[in-house]
Amino acid sequence: MSVRTSIEEQLKTLEQEAKEAIARAQTLEAVEEVRRVYLGRRGRLTLLLRTLADLPPDERARAGAALNEAKNRLLTRLNARAQEVRQAVLDARLRSEAIDITLPGRRPLPGRPHILGRTIHQILEIFRSMGFEVVEGPEIETEEFNFHRLNIPDDHPARDMQDSFYLDRVHLLRTQVTAVDVRVLPGRRPPVRVVSVGRCYRRDALDATHAPVFHQVDGFVVDEGVRFSDLKGVLSQFAREMWGPGSRTRFQPSYFPFTEPSAELAVYFGDRWLEIGGCGMFHPKVLEMAGWDPERYTAFAFGLGIERPAMVRYGIPDIRLFWENDLRVLAQF
Amino acid sequence: MRVLWSWLVEYVRTPEPLDPSAWAERFPMLGLGVDAVERTGDDWIFDLETTTNRPDWMGIVGIAREVAAAAGGELVLPSSEVVEEGPPVNEVAVVEIADPRLCHRYVGRVVVDVRVGPSPRWMAERLERCGIRSINNVVDVTNYVMLELGQPLHAFDLDRLAGQRVVVRSARAGEQLVTLDGVERVLPEGALVIADAVRPVALGGIMGGADTEIRPDTCRVLLESAWFNPVAVRRTARALGLRTEGSARHERGGDPERVQAAARRAAELLRTLCGGRVLRGELDAYPHPSPPRTVRLRPDRLRRVLGAEIPTEVAADLLRRLGFDFQSQGDALLVRVPSHRRDVEREEDLIEEVARLWGYDRIPETMPVGALGVGHLPEDLLLERELRDVLLRAGLTEVFTLSLIHPRDLDRIGLPSEHPLRRAPKLLNPLTEEHTHLRTTLVPSLLEVLRTNRTRGVADVHVFEIGRVFGSREGGWEERKVVGIARIGRVLQGRWNLPPEAVETSFYHLKGAVEAVFEALHISDVSLTPEAAPWLHPYRSAAIWLGDQRIGWMGEVHPEVAERFDLRGRAYVAELELAPLLRGARPAQLRPVPRYPAVERDLSVVLPQDVPAGAVEQEIRRVGGPFLEACEVFDVYTGPQVPEGHRSLAFSLRFRAPDRTLAAEEVEGVLQEIRAALRERFGARIRGA
Repeated sequence: MSVRTSIEEQLKTLEQEAKEAIARAQTLEAVEEVRRVYLGRRGRLTLLLRTLADLPPDERARAGAALNEAKNRLLTRLNARAQEVRQAVLDARLRSEAIDITLPGRRPLPGRPHILGRTIHQILEIFRSMGFEVVEGPEIETEEFNFHRLNIPDDHPARDMQDSFYLDRVHLLRTQVTAVDVRVLPGRRPPVRVVSVGRCYRRDALDATHAPVFHQVDGFVVDEGVRFSDLKGVLSQFAREMWGPGSRTRFQPSYFPFTEPSAELAVYFGDRWLEIGGCGMFHPKVLEMAGWDPERYTAFAFGLGIERPAMVRYGIPDIRLFWENDLRVLAQF
Repeated sequence: MRVLWSWLVEYVRTPEPLDPSAWAERFPMLGLGVDAVERTGDDWIFDLETTTNRPDWMGIVGIAREVAAAAGGELVLPSSEVVEEGPPVNEVAVVEIADPRLCHRYVGRVVVDVRVGPSPRWMAERLERCGIRSINNVVDVTNYVMLELGQPLHAFDLDRLAGQRVVVRSARAGEQLVTLDGVERVLPEGALVIADAVRPVALGGIMGGADTEIRPDTCRVLLESAWFNPVAVRRTARALGLRTEGSARHERGGDPERVQAAARRAAELLRTLCGGRVLRGELDAYPHPSPPRTVRLRPDRLRRVLGAEIPTEVAADLLRRLGFDFQSQGDALLVRVPSHRRDVEREEDLIEEVARLWGYDRIPETMPVGALGVGHLPEDLLLERELRDVLLRAGLTEVFTLSLIHPRDLDRIGLPSEHPLRRAPKLLNPLTEEHTHLRTTLVPSLLEVLRTNRTRGVADVHVFEIGRVFGSREGGWEERKVVGIARIGRVLQGRWNLPPEAVETSFYHLKGAVEAVFEALHISDVSLTPEAAPWLHPYRSAAIWLGDQRIGWMGEVHPEVAERFDLRGRAYVAELELAPLLRGARPAQLRPVPRYPAVERDLSVVLPQDVPAGAVEQEIRRVGGPFLEACEVFDVYTGPQVPEGHRSLAFSLRFRAPDRTLAAEEVEGVLQEIRAALRERFGARIRGA
């Protein structure tokens, strides 16, 4: 009787002490120490278990059950405490790793496309989506392609408008990308849709609105039954792609030796009409010179500036900004 | 062309008065660009931009004809009445065209007893509003008629013409003339001149001579109205650097009828305004009269070309309003071109006339019918795009630089005089002193971009340009594309706590960008040799080879060159030919992703300083054989533990077999062979082994 009471009381005290020890343990090592002291091979609870053998069988079962239950409670408590301590240790480590998130980020300096490069890319993609083939031609041209094949004979007054840089008696820096058209024309079979972008040169001094070097996109469509209305349709579609679906275009009569009828194309942008280039139906003489029968085939052609629309579009007041390549400017686009 | 509204409307009769404010919008729809509109009092001045094919638009009557046609009104021409008296004109003066190539028609009239004095106020005012200074009543009449009809006129003092004779001929060698502006000019041989019996007295169509000009005491005037060869006028004007209101008009071509009408009109004005008497008849040299021109218009083709359903009667009516006569010929119209529209030569010209007056804005918008082409970008342009994208991703900003340079720019990059890049094509007629040649390399332009930015306080400049360069060779010119890269400053944002070598651009950052290009285009056959171009640091530069072709240079900018571009700090520049790059490009091809694990080992060797890391790597790869998958330098060290004149290189090696897991012993065996080879080949000492 006294023995049994004694075991149960001992168990009660022991469990109480163990609980307090667990609660006091601050490190994983301390938790393990508590486990060893109470539940280890020579732990106090283990030792108490061994005294069960001295009890009479009927009491042994009850006391054994009480002891096992106490052991399980302590194990649960120990594991939970170990988890708490691990979490606390991790928290402490993570806290010690705190950084200053307000310091600047690290990254390579970004590369930017030039405004003209971006515009050229955009324009070519639009025409490509309308079935045009992109071609290139030389910047050093002959009078033959730059003028004669475009129905601009020597001493034509149109030559005044495009005073050119010459390299020798027949070679000059092309004054219009249209020269590429008449290079391409003879070698193709209809239907042909061709577009070309590149540099052109005119004898203009560099100032706010002129540059001796500038860019143009030029293209043409030849087939049986190509109409002036197609020219309007294609260029208006281009304008909508370029400047938004609400873009308005205006075609006004003009004069170019290589087109008849000829038109000046303007786009309404911001609050005014912006002239962006010339266009028209290829003059029959141009088709004839390229070996095409103008009775059977008709063609429209266009040549648009790159710099001016880009200036208006992006609010660039001075053409020289394109050529200065000030990164404070380029980085904005 | 300045057009005074009140003057213009004198020639237009419409049921309703015309509204000038609306015409600022309407002129452009006829092809007359409006450069400016001025309002003065209750009048308007339109500054119109007229195209070079329309000489008739160089006179107010020509503009009035368009306005009348567009407004559905009627053109009222100025009176062509002239009251003549006295002896026949051919008894007092002679006109002769000595060279018919220079002059198509020359009409002379003589007015006697003129009293030279100021013009009436209305005339002086009109002239001045149109931008012409009033001189005296005689000269003013010639200018007035020029503005009115577009036909330039000249008035000679008949008594100062030797032999009372004018001859249109070309200038002979050494002939001189003092022109109205007081300048004594040596006439280029062949220039278009008007001479009297003895000497040149005027530059035909351009400017009169001082000797024969109208003076206060002039009393007999010979009026000249002519159609000079536009090319001859243009050539003479250009040769002398002299452009006038007259030459601008003559250069656009003439109208034989207008020549005569203008002479009559001016003579009559001299009679009424200067008190003169117009002698009977006219001196009309017109050796080969122009026949009237007839052009066939097929209304069906007109509709087909324009894509607009313009009824034949409507087209015919529009042409009639512009002064064209026509008669039907089957389905076609035979159109007689009036003399003031000599620019109309073919059916297309008539189609444009109809479209213009009908309204371009009324032509619908359609898309081309027929076979749908597929948009196409040729292979080389696709690759060029790829290249551009790679460079942008590598942190380089695209720049555009002018392709015109001065040889000075080549001096600045230290090119010796016989260097091939000195063969810059030279412009025959440069406009400015700094743009006289085509560029042969992007290097000076790119360094200039660095300079500009640095000067403006931009410290980190990393740029590239893909552009054309030029050259001259035996019998011609060449042009080709190159890609240039230039870098200076830091390559990273957020550089706090980083060692400078990680942040500042170096040769290796430049090389990294170049490598990115090769990688993107899948080009493997690339090698570098330690060589320098003249603008590069001789020991920090390389020639870039693709196979056995040198395709470019890269390196640190030579300190002397850097100084010429005000570049403090080290700058780097590379330039590569585009064509071989694009030829060498290969499409990407998938290599199987390895299935077996790799074995990684580090190898650290001490070598004499002058053994290049690349040579060591090559040897490692050679001995390492097919299982050596990667070999990369990860440390380069000189310092206390390494003997003088030596350096330590550490490589990280990765071995892998495609079909099994490599055993550690296999890898160890290969490593042994590598160590032995490095010892033998370079006298390397293996660290930690």
